[in-house]
Amino acid sequence: MFLPDFEYYMPASVQEACALLAEKGPTAKILSGGTDLLNKMKHGLVAPEVLISLKQLDQLTSIAYVPDKGVVIGARATHNDICNSLLLQEKYLSLCEAAHHMANNQIRNVGTIGGNIVNAVPSADLPPILMALGASITLVGRQGERVMALEDFFVGPGKTRIAQDEIVAEIVIPDQPLTGSTYIKFGLRRSGALAVVGVAVAVTMEGNVCKDARIALGAVGPVPMRAPKAEAMIIGKTVNEELLEEVGVCASTECKPISDIRGSEEYRRDMVRVFTKRALRKAIDEGHV
Amino acid sequence: MSDKYSVIGKSVPKMDGRVKVTGQAKYTGDLKFPNMLVGKILTSPHAHARIISIDTSEAEKLPGVKAVITHKDVPSLKYGISPARWDENIFCIDKVRFVGDKVAAIAAVDEETVYKALKLIKVEYEVLPAVFDPEEAIKEGAPQIHDEYPRNINTEIHQNFGDVEKAFAEAHHVRTDRFVGNRTYQCPIEPHSAISIWEGGKLTVYSSTQSPHYFQYYIAREFGLKMGDVRVIKTYVGGGFGGKLEPTGLEFCGAVLSKITGRPVKMFYDRHEMFAHNRGRHKQIMEITTGVDKNGKILGVHANFIMDGGAYTSLGIATAYYAGAMLTLTYDFVNYKFDMIRTYTNLPACGAQRGHGAPQPRYAFECHLDNVATDLGIDPIELRKVNARQPNTITPNEFKVNSCELAECISKAKEISGWQQKKGKLGKGRGIGIAVGSFVSGAGYPIYRTNLPHASAIIKVHEDGSAATLYTGATDIGQGSDTVLCQMAAEAMGFRYENMKIVAADTETTPHDFGAYASRQTLMSGSAVKQAGEEVKKQVLELAAEMMEVEVSDLDCRDSAIFVKSDSEITKPFGEVAREFFVRKGPLVGKGVYAPPKLGGKFKGAPVGTSPAYSFAAQISEVQIDEETGEIDVQEVWDVHDCGMVINPSLLHGQVHGALFMGMGESIWEQVLFDDQGKILNPNLGEYRMPTAMDMPKVTSALVESYEPAGPWGVKEVGEGATIPTMGCYANAIYDAMGIRVNSLPLTYEKVWRALKEKREKEKVSVGV
Amino acid sequence: MQAIIDNNGVKRYLVTIQVNGDNYTRVVKANTLLVNFLREELDLTGTKKGCELGDCGSCTVLMDGKPVNSCIVLAVEADGREITTVEGLAQSEKLDKIQESFIENAAVQCGYCTPGMIMSAKALLTKNPHPTEEEIREAIAGNLCRCTGYVNIVKAILAAAGE
Repeated sequence: MFLPDFEYYMPASVQEACALLAEKGPTAKILSGGTDLLNKMKHGLVAPEVLISLKQLDQLTSIAYVPDKGVVIGARATHNDICNSLLLQEKYLSLCEAAHHMANNQIRNVGTIGGNIVNAVPSADLPPILMALGASITLVGRQGERVMALEDFFVGPGKTRIAQDEIVAEIVIPDQPLTGSTYIKFGLRRSGALAVVGVAVAVTMEGNVCKDARIALGAVGPVPMRAPKAEAMIIGKTVNEELLEEVGVCASTECKPISDIRGSEEYRRDMVRVFTKRALRKAIDEGHV
Repeated sequence: MSDKYSVIGKSVPKMDGRVKVTGQAKYTGDLKFPNMLVGKILTSPHAHARIISIDTSEAEKLPGVKAVITHKDVPSLKYGISPARWDENIFCIDKVRFVGDKVAAIAAVDEETVYKALKLIKVEYEVLPAVFDPEEAIKEGAPQIHDEYPRNINTEIHQNFGDVEKAFAEAHHVRTDRFVGNRTYQCPIEPHSAISIWEGGKLTVYSSTQSPHYFQYYIAREFGLKMGDVRVIKTYVGGGFGGKLEPTGLEFCGAVLSKITGRPVKMFYDRHEMFAHNRGRHKQIMEITTGVDKNGKILGVHANFIMDGGAYTSLGIATAYYAGAMLTLTYDFVNYKFDMIRTYTNLPACGAQRGHGAPQPRYAFECHLDNVATDLGIDPIELRKVNARQPNTITPNEFKVNSCELAECISKAKEISGWQQKKGKLGKGRGIGIAVGSFVSGAGYPIYRTNLPHASAIIKVHEDGSAATLYTGATDIGQGSDTVLCQMAAEAMGFRYENMKIVAADTETTPHDFGAYASRQTLMSGSAVKQAGEEVKKQVLELAAEMMEVEVSDLDCRDSAIFVKSDSEITKPFGEVAREFFVRKGPLVGKGVYAPPKLGGKFKGAPVGTSPAYSFAAQISEVQIDEETGEIDVQEVWDVHDCGMVINPSLLHGQVHGALFMGMGESIWEQVLFDDQGKILNPNLGEYRMPTAMDMPKVTSALVESYEPAGPWGVKEVGEGATIPTMGCYANAIYDAMGIRVNSLPLTYEKVWRALKEKREKEKVSVGV
Repeated sequence: MQAIIDNNGVKRYLVTIQVNGDNYTRVVKANTLLVNFLREELDLTGTKKGCELGDCGSCTVLMDGKPVNSCIVLAVEADGREITTVEGLAQSEKLDKIQESFIENAAVQCGYCTPGMIMSAKALLTKNPHPTEEEIREAIAGNLCRCTGYVNIVKAILAAAGE
């Protein structure tokens, strides 16, 4: 296979990157880890004439806690950076576990959280758990910075609200009183498999009562999506097996899966039922975020 | 000297281990030659279309392009690995028959230029209706793929032994089951690659090949060359599994591009091009009917199959015969009817894949027999024991079986798996299942009609006796034949393995051998090697007798030391005698040759399935099924093999692990999928799922004692035998776990989920809910 | 990074990549992949191409100590980085203990996945000298092998770790 020709730039600052994006127009793409982009180029699905590499922007690789803001993950943090981050293991172990499910070790050393989000593949592993954790995304462009809830960022398969001159700077997970969260990826083999269904949940329990819950589903719609009706069904209730089953059934009616080579619509819908139930049970029982 | 043998039977390290772990081993794609060009093939985007015009002018103008060829630049002689069906052209002339069919080729100065130039060739097609299903392909009105084969019937087989109808009439119980297999692909990790170089009228081809001989033969034939003017060299091969047994467009186009440009041309397939070239496993639709007596003894079997051959024959005729032929090996029954149709479809051509036609029928038969066992209330192992073939018997299709320890394999598998304690007692969602299999140790007849011996070998002892070189055409594609044959050479000579060298698989320097397929080399190439080694030893001992002034009958040799049998303290180094031999008589050389005896019956197709010896195996697996998702978690697998004498235990078990792994992949995950235009949806290793290291269960590979008189030192095959029982084994374990039958491969989680769902719904209905 | 434009307007970049301890300065196009840089520019053909999409791992090399698929890394992105390939493991004649263990434990059949597999193992044992079997399987899950069923490979890595 081969890559088409392109021009290559290595801006020294975020502003320079945005300026280049604006100058070169839609034929320019950001090169972060490149694990998605370069493959798309090899398949001839995209043919950018300009690649703007972020490799000089070290500040985008940091993972840190910022008081009054929360955990801030730079867009260039790789999946393994996330897995191995002691801060994240302590505060959001579920995110580390989700990152660990992605592709394989070699890809995880190169693929970044920014790229995973911007590529907006419906079955991506990081968006659901980030959405369940209430994450927001910070975009930087020529006009400055803007922040939005991650779940508002996705528009369709491969499409997001990012503007031509913007890059993803960071993901922020705000402090919040969660008692448990988890992401379950259901794939067709134990490594190197896209999710057939991905379910992420975050709960705030008080004893057996669920005070708050967020359920986010991946691979079962054009974008990663919340399941608000299923959430409403469990919030404020005492949790038992029957309720979890009902919540699962409800989530399965809210999702919009398609049939493809990995699974039929019918199967995916039922798997949403099963894994919503199991994810909630796991998040509640394991009691770690 | 307490061991019977000095070298064989030991897990000596591989001859090529070191060069492979250091990255020194050069595979065909690693080789570079001065002035070398890169070539690639333009293929058809349509499954079935007439070629109206091809315009290569833009491609030819691109700087760096040195040659562009189409059908007008190459011989139009049809070729194919099956002589009965030469149905392929180097380039399609009037029409293309599958997405990926060959249309043109380019040679250029580098890879990037070739890829760019391919895009500049303009081909005008008239798209034709296509057919993608074998049962559709034989219907009236289906698109005709090859004019010479009406109703797209490539091969039709009707074999009848004994009287099946009578057997069914007299049976206590008759049952029919239908199963559907899957189209899978060998997926060797190394892509196909070939480098063609001309020197005057002589062509040298480096190729990732399983058989330099077949490549040499068919390349010579295609271009009207003398075989002596075609040299095919195998360096290292990164796996073949049957997919690299026939020359491809890379060899044929490469030869022409190289001739035209006067430069070496390297050609290779990308991974998705490998999927399109294919020559992988046929999908078979299998209906099996068996009649049994009240004890479960099989009285008669009718196998009625149809298989999807894709657009060309490849090795498919043999595959079609093997599919039915092999069913008679494991169980002793006299009445057998086999009907098979191999159809053309507008999909990539299918050929021989590890197990060659036998795995899917075996899956069908083993599941079917478990159903029979359930019908009769008999334990599946007991049913198999009642029917297991015994040694020194002949099958109804006239395969002579010498050694056969199948019953012992079944008993041992039962024991080491804990079957008795587990069957019916494992708890919800867990099950245990068994299947057996058998395979040839080399085919009784070569792929094309010839009286050439099947294998030959030369051993040359180095002039100072410090080393000995084995020259063999046998082809090591990873299975370790170089190592095993050097062990055999050393054993036969009484020489040290550590001092063996090998030159293999080069048609100019190594003596004829048909290559690596049908698991033939340990037995067949090994026979020739043993003979060559014994001839060396004979000459050495004769001279040693003279030098030591003893009777030659009182001498033997072991580990490069000649010793007097009646007084083993008296020794002489092999090297000393060898050197003296060279001084007095010239080169110390031994030659060996092997041809199997005339095997098989006289009916149509009788040769296919004949073999000097057959391996046998029993596999048991324990699975856990997730009732809600259908996810299959294979906990553990036990494989017990009867493969005769074991030359290198480590390598042997490695083959069992690998064959089982491939069987496992095909059982649960692997399937080549197409869209409704015949384009492959998953021609990559992300969506064509082979098991990863995290997907493998615990594997126990065990053996039973066995000795095969037809094999040197009693050897038989192992390379393909362990692929065969796996699919049936897993399906039977799933049935044991959940009481559901998945009658098509692969046994996906979704299929299990659906079968469980249907079972629950049926139960609701019957309970009147 | 310095760039050069030739008479046809084709832009090339000057990169310096350290490979197996030695610095190599070369002129490459932006679309040159690291795997091809290693195999074609430096003639280090130990690193293999099996799929060119990051699915099979036969192109695995270490980049600053971490295993990556060199088929999806641009040479220009590897500028200034330290690459280790299979050719860089042995110390003169002496093989790395993982290489020895692969030979001893019959973990090599066709050998095509072997360099990538060994690099993944090397990275694992450097970071985690005594991994569990599960950790080993995870570390090599991105290296596909068609020959061994991974049985002897896992055995070999466990044995190398045990030393």
